[in-house]
Amino acid sequence: MRMIPNLTPTFILLILGVSTFIFIMFLPALLELKKHKDAGPRLIMNDAPVMQTKIRETILMVNVEEEHRFDQMLAKKMADVMAVLPNLEA
Amino acid sequence: MITEILETLFLILTALMIAYLTRHYIFTLTVLKNHQKHEKATTVGNAAYQPTVSILIPALNEEKVIGRILQRMTELTYPKDKMEIIVIDDGSTDDTGKIAEQCSKAHSYIKVIHRSEKEGGRGKASTLNAGLKHAKGEIILCFDADYYPQRDILEKLTKEFADPKVGAVQGRVTVLNEPQNIVTRLVTLERIGGYRVDQQARDSLGLITQLGGTVAGLRRDLLESLGRWDESILAEDTDITFRVYLAGYKIRYVNEAECYEEAVESWRAYWKQRYRWAKGHMQCAFKHSLKVLKSSNLRFREKVDGLLLLNVYFMPILALLSWIISVPLFFLKPPPWFGIFWVSIPISIYSFVGNFAPFFEVGIGAYLDGRTRAQWLIPLLIFTFLYNIPICTKALIDLLISKIFRRNGNHWAKTVHSGNGNSYIMS
Repeated sequence: MRMIPNLTPTFILLILGVSTFIFIMFLPALLELKKHKDAGPRLIMNDAPVMQTKIRETILMVNVEEEHRFDQMLAKKMADVMAVLPNLEA
Repeated sequence: MITEILETLFLILTALMIAYLTRHYIFTLTVLKNHQKHEKATTVGNAAYQPTVSILIPALNEEKVIGRILQRMTELTYPKDKMEIIVIDDGSTDDTGKIAEQCSKAHSYIKVIHRSEKEGGRGKASTLNAGLKHAKGEIILCFDADYYPQRDILEKLTKEFADPKVGAVQGRVTVLNEPQNIVTRLVTLERIGGYRVDQQARDSLGLITQLGGTVAGLRRDLLESLGRWDESILAEDTDITFRVYLAGYKIRYVNEAECYEEAVESWRAYWKQRYRWAKGHMQCAFKHSLKVLKSSNLRFREKVDGLLLLNVYFMPILALLSWIISVPLFFLKPPPWFGIFWVSIPISIYSFVGNFAPFFEVGIGAYLDGRTRAQWLIPLLIFTFLYNIPICTKALIDLLISKIFRRNGNHWAKTVHSGNGNSYIMS
């Protein structure tokens, strides 16, 4: 009786291999799309200072928002901690 | 018999792909080599040479961007007594004409030509020809309404005309609204590959530098002698490029003359724009291929590069054809020494050749621009490459139908500019 090779594991391996290859190939692009770390539009030479100011302002705004968010989180945490502390004034 | 035909066809297509691949490797290596030599500026024009210039700005319903470019034109450092700006309001139904008129009242060197709705909308070549009738400058420069140039761009472009053999110049286009979405990001990558590497290398190697239709300048007398822009061609820029070369002149690419553009923002707009480019380019291929071969004004390498450039928009279709052929060929005649590579060869080769500016070319361009993080998006260019296959196929079918039935199939699908790029420019 002739041996018929079982093709199922080969196909599974093939699909897994191709999927992994595609995933690895697109992973950097997906990461960059999810969280942009690129410097943005290329600065045309004599407009560099103007554009840099704009970018710097944008970064500053993001930082201020981050700080504000951090402050709010800190205040909420402190409020939570204080809520469980015994009221010393009472 | 069928197998032999398929095999021969397959090998021809693969050879064509290898030719394009080799060409792009040469381009990329040339630019890298020049970069290593620290050649910042490859052009050698005479900065003291300042001819009179006429800047043509065709504008059809551009109210969101026309004010921006006209404001910028007033900020250019070129002597104002040597320049005139001609806005051609191409039958706009919005406030484009009014905005241009307001600028014209404030600045005497800005002129506005109004075309009626009946006259307008016939394509860029027709609009430019209308503007050319009123132009007085020695050099004619073209800017699209959504563009935003460097202040000293005219000095950088016009200095090349000190050489009488130079018939035209082309500057670099950079995307302004890049962070907007994935389409603008991918168009940016294509532009980087196309200008920073492709155009730069062609200029350095003395091949066919292509006029892009904007951020471009031509000698007025040459343009007149060539019979102005051909209104029957959708890619008037490619057409004029070859007419300039066939007339015995050269075109210089000036990488340091940079200008922002607003890239298309949706896949639909991308389709419309690339369809127009593909069809126009194919029209030029039919019109100029034989002339390029026969020309006595072109050197051998210019002829080879010219033919490859003229026929580049056929390549996505030929790639698809080679993929289709490879499948039956694999079953009809599996080659003993290649096995499954019958299928993988055209895929891998043309994947490397990519979408007119191949992936390695884009990667090196981004590296030279210091945009290493932008390189992370390069794998996504496979989608624009695949998208170009139906675009180019439709363009070819439509062109053949219009040729067979002798119809005028030219429809100018104008790119709509949203003005979103304004948010990236500080006033």
